[in-house]
Amino acid sequence: MKAKIQVVLCKCCSEVPALLNTDRLAMLATDADMVVSVKTVDAICDGKNLAGVVGEAKEKEVDRAVVLACHKKDVSPALAKAYKRAGVNEFMVEIVNLREEVVLPHIGEPERAQTKAETMLRAALVRAVMLKPLERLTEGMKTNNVVIIGAGVAGQAAARAAARTGAHTVILEKTGKSMKAPGVILTHCQLIGAKGWTGNYTLKIKAGEKVEELGAAAIIVATGGGWTELMGPLAKAVKDAVPLYKLYERMQSNDLPKGTVVVVDTPDPAGKSLRVQDYAWDDTLETVIELKKKAPSTQIYVVFQEMRAFGLDELAYKEAADLGIRFIRYDKAGAPRIDPKAPTRLAVKDFAQGEVLNIQFGTLVFASIPPNKDNQAIADALRIPMSVDGSVRRGSIQRGPVETVRPGIYVCGSALFPKSRALAEQEGETAGSMAGEFVKNGKIAYGGSVAEVEQEKCSACLTCIRTCPYEAPFIGKATKAEIRTQLCQGCGMCVGICPSKAIELHHFTDDQIMGQARSLLGGDF
Amino acid sequence: MKEVLIIGGGPAGLTAAKALADRGTGVVLVERKESLGGMARELTCKGIVECRNCGVCFAIDRAGDAIRNANSEVLLLSEISAIAREGDRFVAKIKTSPRYVTDDCTGCGKCVAVCPVEGKAIFPPTGSGQPRTFWIDRNKCLHFKKAKCVACAEACPTKAIDFEDRATNVSRKADAVIYATGIDPIDACETSRLGCGILKDVLSSVDAERILNEKGRLIRPSDGKPPKKIAVMQCVGSRTVKLGVEYCSKFCCKYATKISQMLLDTDPEINLDFYFMDLRTLYEPQDDFKLWAKEKKTVKLVRSMPATVNLGQNGKLLVRATGETDLDVAEIEYDMVILSVGMRASGASSELAKALGITVDSMGFAKATQELEDRGVFVVGAVAEPMDIEETAERAIAAVSRIQKKEGGA
Amino acid sequence: MAEKKPKVIGFICAGHGMEAAVLSARTGKQHDASVRLVEVPCAGRVDGIHLLKAFEDGADAVFVFGCLEKNCFYDTGSIEGRKRVGYVKQMLDEAGIEKERIEMFNAASSNAWMFPQAVEKMVETARRLGPIEKGGEGQ
Repeated sequence: MKAKIQVVLCKCCSEVPALLNTDRLAMLATDADMVVSVKTVDAICDGKNLAGVVGEAKEKEVDRAVVLACHKKDVSPALAKAYKRAGVNEFMVEIVNLREEVVLPHIGEPERAQTKAETMLRAALVRAVMLKPLERLTEGMKTNNVVIIGAGVAGQAAARAAARTGAHTVILEKTGKSMKAPGVILTHCQLIGAKGWTGNYTLKIKAGEKVEELGAAAIIVATGGGWTELMGPLAKAVKDAVPLYKLYERMQSNDLPKGTVVVVDTPDPAGKSLRVQDYAWDDTLETVIELKKKAPSTQIYVVFQEMRAFGLDELAYKEAADLGIRFIRYDKAGAPRIDPKAPTRLAVKDFAQGEVLNIQFGTLVFASIPPNKDNQAIADALRIPMSVDGSVRRGSIQRGPVETVRPGIYVCGSALFPKSRALAEQEGETAGSMAGEFVKNGKIAYGGSVAEVEQEKCSACLTCIRTCPYEAPFIGKATKAEIRTQLCQGCGMCVGICPSKAIELHHFTDDQIMGQARSLLGGDF
Repeated sequence: MKEVLIIGGGPAGLTAAKALADRGTGVVLVERKESLGGMARELTCKGIVECRNCGVCFAIDRAGDAIRNANSEVLLLSEISAIAREGDRFVAKIKTSPRYVTDDCTGCGKCVAVCPVEGKAIFPPTGSGQPRTFWIDRNKCLHFKKAKCVACAEACPTKAIDFEDRATNVSRKADAVIYATGIDPIDACETSRLGCGILKDVLSSVDAERILNEKGRLIRPSDGKPPKKIAVMQCVGSRTVKLGVEYCSKFCCKYATKISQMLLDTDPEINLDFYFMDLRTLYEPQDDFKLWAKEKKTVKLVRSMPATVNLGQNGKLLVRATGETDLDVAEIEYDMVILSVGMRASGASSELAKALGITVDSMGFAKATQELEDRGVFVVGAVAEPMDIEETAERAIAAVSRIQKKEGGA
Repeated sequence: MAEKKPKVIGFICAGHGMEAAVLSARTGKQHDASVRLVEVPCAGRVDGIHLLKAFEDGADAVFVFGCLEKNCFYDTGSIEGRKRVGYVKQMLDEAGIEKERIEMFNAASSNAWMFPQAVEKMVETARRLGPIEKGGEGQ
């Protein structure tokens, strides 16, 4: 069946004719093979113009279009919708950006610009002839569960926000602590495996001794910081040293610390580990200020490298100092040391004075929030990447502030980066809201421009599997690679790297790409 | 749900607009300036090969989304002249000033070239602001004085100048209001001992960002040469009791360290001294910048606040600062000094804010309270407290979530 | 011999790559008309064979333009793109063809100067080196 192409030339009001000869372009289009309709409009973004174009497309039974206009993102949605009414598949509409690729940047070269525009039109026609109609599919979500891993501040806030959207929330909490949050709360529960894909995960969870399955439409990792796992020479020397949050918790039940309190930024100040662990200075300052107010006679020292009191917390820094809390800065050369044989004395070289201070203490507190050791197992189960510092990695900021690399899986709170309770709560709310909205759709859209393996060519080298960030390729029953279409994002990385050239990306096949390139290079400008 | 009025087209307002639009809620976005993006318009991307997570492109992407979205009405050069409650809803009267340039504008800049006014009267959108339509400042334009100048109209290849444009007044109803008027940078010249405004090669971080955003590299304003030895100074105008800015502006260390890395990417031979009090690199382990500096032999971190910047020999800048332990004073020559300035809340105590019942705290930030949210007013973004673009985005989405809750969700 | 009409082709990603190019045009920045663009969904889609074929089809210089690394919409796509460019550089070198004829560039959507700078660099290279001599050493 021969293609029936409609060419639309948008003048962008008076912009395009200011540089190009649009009549010549229209004439070229009219003379081209398989072109059955040529429309020149003032502005394709104008509904009336669009209606006229689509009307003729219907009349001439057009099956594909080449639209010379502006940036795809600006015109594509309206065009796709309109052409659908004329029976033209959305993947059969080729948009050429004359405005930003030719008209705007080549003001000083009108002749070359003209030939370039004509070449681009020809290349687009070459590509358009090779296009095939493709269908986007949908798959219903079997549950509307938003599963939240971790019932800390972030996890609870996420549950509240997700519940607002109508999602059903399930919190998986590894300890037995009780809390109030919407939906179902499973305590003594851990994630040990996951199957399935975006919108339709089947999680394997261990609740006590039982292993169960749980459906999940979206997942939020809110495991928090690993502040119970303090590692370093100072923690080793002082067995009853406490993490900051433990101190805070005890203070709430009026269990105040004994003797002089020394808060150190990290149990490993000489930095054997790759980096000094970060901490939440707003929580630290809040805690020591509250302690000083509750027990004014308690001596409190805060020993640190960097006083990271961001934003308005700077005012808390001042308040703490005014209350008589002593701040001692050190650098790696004068890092605090504790002799395990005398575990009630901390020696640190005060940075400003250059002298070593020996502080006798009753309670040693660590402010740092190390990465949670559970993160690796969870990341492995969900097959999402981690960061080098042990936190769950957020994807590109293009996707959003709390999304991991895989759509439908979010991360928030200290699992993402050490932070205060207040900020973790905000982030939890953000993640819960995003997850809830995602689940509200009730279905996922997939397919269209996706990868497909030609099994006979596949040598099962596993390169595609190692390359894909979304786990879309897998080795199927025939011991050959297959693409799980629901997971395929259409990036084409596997296609570009396959050494056997066994994978094709619909809508961006090798023939289409190279055909277009060759046609463009054929232009003499 | 219905309609939300967003006051302010910066990162906070834009993220909220997208979040609401994705949820099928109508949005009326009112922006005072001629383009969307807020302060992010003049901030530079700080990556050359590798992303440095500054968040600027996120804000610019949201600006593009807001313009494309069919559910969002974007009003530029607009201000709210009155706002009142009508039962459960807000009614806002919005005045849009005339732009005098139509959508036919291609951004070619021929109009600016021929504009006879000193300092010009026709301008492109600031920085990376969207959309890319120019605008005329009526107060400066000769056409509106006796001169009836039409130079730009004649030069415009697409006839996009429209002197007949008029102000419009519209009324809009909304179920909730998001107050996101953002921030203004602190004027580095307030700390005159550091030479800003006096010495040509002393730039504020705002200037440095603007120039890098436009051109991708810095040159000394005095002689046009590329700077080879640069001093970056933190906390100019923040953490300063004297200026009444006792807080930390939160994002300056993040941006300044990333600019430093960007400068070294572009020219690995640059010598860079980073003067600071505390290294407050947001969302990054505190050692990262130190480890990077150690690897780049030409970068030095100096924990010290320079006292003065004066003109040195041969057109260089002379910086006087103590060493790290206050015992030694040094005078070091640099080609260029960059002063990292902090920020103040913008519009936190305006008449409009007061009309909405918004109060300010001791540092001049608008207070986001439960009481305000119960009444449908959501104060979001850096106007409420110092924050960077990433945090702003998160808070905006969280606020949208709470707006849903308020209106009964689903 | 300097080329008046060199042939430069860029494979540009539909994400931040194209956004950066569009922004540069919309901020009034001009660039040489020699450049042609083929849009791909991701720099990672680019295959070594596309790049080599482009040279065969007459390109004097070729580039790949993608998102910043770690900010790629598809996570590792622009890193993959850089790998392909590196691979082809090596092949060109082995064939006795100047390596600099192919380059990788990265930018974020708010960067208006990276695209024209990339074009300028590749057009200058193409002009300076002229067309590839066919049937040369190593073929």
